[in-house]
Amino acid sequence: MAATLASADPVLADFAEQVGAEGPVAVEGGRTRWLVGGAPPPDVRTVRAPAGIVEYAPEEMTVRVRAGTTVAELDAELSSRGQRTPLPDRGGTVGGALAVGENHPGLLGRGRVRSSLLQVRYVSADGVLVNGGGPTVKNVTGFDLPRLMVGSLGTLGLLAEVILRTEPNPAVSQWVVSDDADPFAVRHVLLRPGAVLWDGGRTWALLEGQADDVASERAAIAVHGTFTDGDGWPELPPHRWSLTPSGLRDIGAHATGRFVAVVGAGLVFAAEPQPSRILDPAARTVGERLKRNFDPDGRLNPGRDPAAR
Amino acid sequence: MDLGLASDDLDKCVQCGLCLSSCPTYRVTGDETMSPRGRIALMRHVQHRGAPLTAEVVDAFETCIQCRGCEPACPSSVPYGHLIEQTRSVLVASGASTPWWQRLAFRQLARPRLLRAGTTVLALAQRAHLVPQRLGLPARLPLRRDPHVVSGRDVYLFTGCVMDAWQRDVHHAAARVLEAAGCGVTPTGDAAPCCGALQAHAGLLDETRRLARRMIEQLEPDVPIVVDSAGCGAAMKDYGRLLDTDEGRAFAERVVDVHEFLAPILDRLPTVDPLDLRVAVQDPCHLRHVQRVHGATRTVLAPFVRELVELDDDGLCCGAGGAYSVLHPALAGTVRSRKLAAITRASADVVASANPGCTMHLAAGGCATLHPIELIDRALSEERAPGRPPRRSRRRSSRG
Amino acid sequence: MSGDPAVDDLVAALGEALAPDRVRHDGAERALLSRDASVFEGGVAGPVCFPVSTSEVQAIMRIAAAGGHNVVPRGAGTGLAGGAIPLGAPIVVSTTRMNRILDVDVDDRIAWVEPGVVNLDLSRHLGPLGFHFAPDPSSQQVCTIGGNVANNSGGPHCLAEGVTNAHVRAIEVVLPDGEVAMLGGLDAEPLGYDLRGVFVGGEGTLGIATRIAVTITPNPPAVRTLLLSFAEVVDAANTVSAVIAAGCVPAAMEVMDQRITVAVERYVGAGYPTDAAAVLLAEVDGLAHGVDHDAETIATIGRANGATDVRLAANDDERALLWKGRKTAFGAIAQIAPDYYLHDTVVPRSKLADVLEQVYAIADRHELLVMNVFHAGDGNLHPLLIFDAREPGVLERVHLAGAEIITASLDAGGVLSGEHGIGVEKQQYMDRLFTDDDLDHQDRLRRAFDPTCRANPGKVLPVGHSCADIQSLRAVPTGVWG
Ligand SMILES: Cc1cc2nc3c(=O)[nH]c(=O)nc-3n(C[C@H](O)[C@H](O)[C@H](O)COP(=O)(O)OP(=O)(O)OC[C@H]3O[C@@H](n4cnc5c(N)ncnc54)[C@H](O)[C@@H]3O)c2cc1C
Ligand code: SF4
Ligand code: SF4
Repeated sequence: MAATLASADPVLADFAEQVGAEGPVAVEGGRTRWLVGGAPPPDVRTVRAPAGIVEYAPEEMTVRVRAGTTVAELDAELSSRGQRTPLPDRGGTVGGALAVGENHPGLLGRGRVRSSLLQVRYVSADGVLVNGGGPTVKNVTGFDLPRLMVGSLGTLGLLAEVILRTEPNPAVSQWVVSDDADPFAVRHVLLRPGAVLWDGGRTWALLEGQADDVASERAAIAVHGTFTDGDGWPELPPHRWSLTPSGLRDIGAHATGRFVAVVGAGLVFAAEPQPSRILDPAARTVGERLKRNFDPDGRLNPGRDPAAR
Repeated sequence: MDLGLASDDLDKCVQCGLCLSSCPTYRVTGDETMSPRGRIALMRHVQHRGAPLTAEVVDAFETCIQCRGCEPACPSSVPYGHLIEQTRSVLVASGASTPWWQRLAFRQLARPRLLRAGTTVLALAQRAHLVPQRLGLPARLPLRRDPHVVSGRDVYLFTGCVMDAWQRDVHHAAARVLEAAGCGVTPTGDAAPCCGALQAHAGLLDETRRLARRMIEQLEPDVPIVVDSAGCGAAMKDYGRLLDTDEGRAFAERVVDVHEFLAPILDRLPTVDPLDLRVAVQDPCHLRHVQRVHGATRTVLAPFVRELVELDDDGLCCGAGGAYSVLHPALAGTVRSRKLAAITRASADVVASANPGCTMHLAAGGCATLHPIELIDRALSEERAPGRPPRRSRRRSSRG
Repeated sequence: MSGDPAVDDLVAALGEALAPDRVRHDGAERALLSRDASVFEGGVAGPVCFPVSTSEVQAIMRIAAAGGHNVVPRGAGTGLAGGAIPLGAPIVVSTTRMNRILDVDVDDRIAWVEPGVVNLDLSRHLGPLGFHFAPDPSSQQVCTIGGNVANNSGGPHCLAEGVTNAHVRAIEVVLPDGEVAMLGGLDAEPLGYDLRGVFVGGEGTLGIATRIAVTITPNPPAVRTLLLSFAEVVDAANTVSAVIAAGCVPAAMEVMDQRITVAVERYVGAGYPTDAAAVLLAEVDGLAHGVDHDAETIATIGRANGATDVRLAANDDERALLWKGRKTAFGAIAQIAPDYYLHDTVVPRSKLADVLEQVYAIADRHELLVMNVFHAGDGNLHPLLIFDAREPGVLERVHLAGAEIITASLDAGGVLSGEHGIGVEKQQYMDRLFTDDDLDHQDRLRRAFDPTCRANPGKVLPVGHSCADIQSLRAVPTGVWG
């Protein structure tokens, strides 16, 4: 049975032991997003999740990986079989990327981080290994602990091992750029683009698919601007803003500084931080109850709060 | 209480609910007691478990429009129409349903002269603004009717009861179209005054059987019986099951809807200019769900109008349901509103509906409605009219 | 009048909050709402409410909270795991009157709908705009979006697009304490825990969804539909695995075994070969060249795996007919025997062939007829046990065979349900997949929404876990056959 396997896995058991059942503890990945949602106390005890790819089944489109594995290592393994996940690689770990929950700027093509987590094993505040979800790509067995863990900043449990859904890479990926295109019209024309980015002047589009389709999509967007070949992702400013896709139309009303917006998603990379956002009060109450139910003493990743980004 | 329902039929329902959206009363109320699945479950509760016939249970059965939209939607082929007819007939017999005054009214249907006289009175009253509009009568009942004419004996044209009194023009149009296709027509007239459909819906099955036997006796064998009222056609095609006799089955075999009859011989009709109209087809339930020959309406009508459009509501009932719109005006009105909204979305010039009850019910809702055969007749007669400019090229299919 | 003054007061209070004619407490109504489309009996409904707005749902919840009453939301009642079955005479909240499509925004690619909107009605509404709602359960002409959200429903076309959870952006929920919460949001990365993601699949135990923002998906410009025939079921299953392994994720991959195709042919005549042991219905959509490429890939892989025939639907009519066959499969079965029990488990794709063989063997052992029609692309098995409930003793056999099928799926590394949910159907199997600690954490999640366990109590978690452990609900034990 899956769950007994988890507790029988000495690597995971060892991690659970390190986390223990008492005292504040923070989990460290690549420390790339260390301050998201608040800073942990400086003297907090830190642990590291185990690392390594446990089982990769390309034909199942799934990979079982320890949370401490770097995204780079995972990406290298997956790309050797022509696959990818929605996790962004910013030098951090798989567990960190999931706990932070931020999407890849290519989320239009890769999908969202929240949809990629099939199964999660984490260490609870009592130091116990808990298993949620299942190994199959489709599953509605019980309450959805994996969804809860994505973006929870490790405040409800410390990720030990996960199973992710993978996707095949597109046959062809091609960047094109334009300085006179209407990015919203471009997004509308493209069926499943890898990305459409816009900095207020220039538009970048990542076309994905079979070569002939990429060519015809390129011809189709030419109606909306003059495009030349691009050479990859533009440099993304450091701060993340979360707007609605239509909200990007009047982005000029916000003090973003230099920005690159992900058209179609509402995500913005900006020079200035986003003014504080307000969480629905009743949703906040549910969040607080979650924290109390999962970690009554507030020992897991203290100082962090997903509602305080 | 034993409703006399065949267990085999009743047990066919697996409660999957796939019929819910096809039921007009469920669609507007969202209530299981007003759904086919719910009504079947209540039949089971009453018959198998001795559940009492409370007012709510009776109401659930009485509010069924008997449009039978649930039947084609049901993957398990539950014969819902027969179940509800039988249930209603037991309710009537037990006095739980259809009070004496309704029964009396239904009996008048088979008395053509009386019905026509009554219609004339009503028509006069209407002109004197004495009839409340909510009764849903046609905008103007006819004061006088041209007599039926026998033009041959290739087919009978079934003329029936209410329709003959209120919409005889449609029969005349049907006769002209059939004649244009080279058929000599004998209108059945008072020889077959009523098919018994409305009585059957009300649970007066014995009355229907009596009428059926009488009609079979009165009409000569072997001549096809063309019907231009979907409700009558459906009832008459069911005589075999209703009477469970060989004569009944043989008779039912001869019954044919007018569109169904014309579709294979369409090339016998002259080619004419189509009417410059965008026409929405509203299938009468008993054509679509019971006879299931609604495809023929389109085939036959298409060459005669500029454009045919479908409504986007999956053939949901309009709420007319024979006498239903009179007995349950509020619910029938809500169901009709839904239909009128679909008609508005289709932005058609006119709605074509092949059943007198439906055309009257829709017209009472303020919607321009004609029988398809009237449209065809009009296209043909415009062609016949003297002084027309010469015809343009042929255009047969104009569906789109 | 119920004869119980407390109940009469409750009904009166609800009637005052809504409208007297939208609260019913008569025997007919309660009897009908005590069941859904599953085989389970034993439900008992309390007052049945038909609210038309969020504030009315809120009023119901407040009355329930004040009086300590339980509440069960209900959509169209097409659930197959008994999720909408009321246990212990709770207030039943029917969402069927909340059926308006409130707003469609093509820029944001969302539609705001009320929970009672019928799945197919939404796609029909979006059609003229060139969009649709991607999850397409076989019950889509009747089931509600609220029900889809609560059950995280899937459908044949969820292989590439994902099930309901991937298509829900925000949900307005009336929580069991009567507070209204907005979960998620239309912005790219909403703040806080992903409560919207958690609510989807909550089977009505986390509150009542009153407005839902779903993602709308553009209609693909090109579609290719293939029908592959196989002499062995195993070959069809292997083809499915190989297609995915080759880096091709079709929009849909459905397998039907010979018993199904024979029945379907007799019923609607979809043009399936009746001499093949199994057929694979595969559909690819997207841009013109991509679909041709993928169709070619599927055909080639199919042939390499022993496909005896590969057919490409020549036009829309043919395509529609092939799908009609698939979608009326249940109907076709009803022509063979009056009753069926539809199972729903998921196994790793590579184990499909193996588990299928076991399923046939299990049915044989219990002298039952089993047919298989399933979402092969995601390993989602739907073995259908077909029987006549009037045959004495047959129900026990169906029950035993079902348990063995579940065991076989779990042993192969699978899960209990791919799309129907746990409801009352599979509670007793939950501890086969999860430890007490795992279930305890699920219970903690649930109690964050519903600390007093009043929303759809007695569902999902097995007895022994607080919210399910309300013995008084079980006047009649679950699992009773109807
Ligand atoms: C013939 C048939 C085929 C089917 N095919 C599929 C299929 O292909 N894929 C699939 O996934 N399912 C399928 N199903 C199962 C079922 O149709 C789905 O689970 C559907 O989503 C249920 O919707 P409903 O409106 O009927 O919900 P109901 O059955 O009424 O309720 C289901 C659950 O949702 C809860 N609920 C309902 N509304 C709300 C709300 N507003 N807020 C909170 N909770 C709510 C209820 O409490 C209950 O727990 C099928 C069922 C049938 C009968
Ligand atoms: S006959 Fe019409 S009104 Fe009656 S249950 Fe069937 S669909 Fe509903
Ligand atoms: S009548 Fe047919 S469609 Fe309706 S619930 Fe019963 S079996 Fe299903």
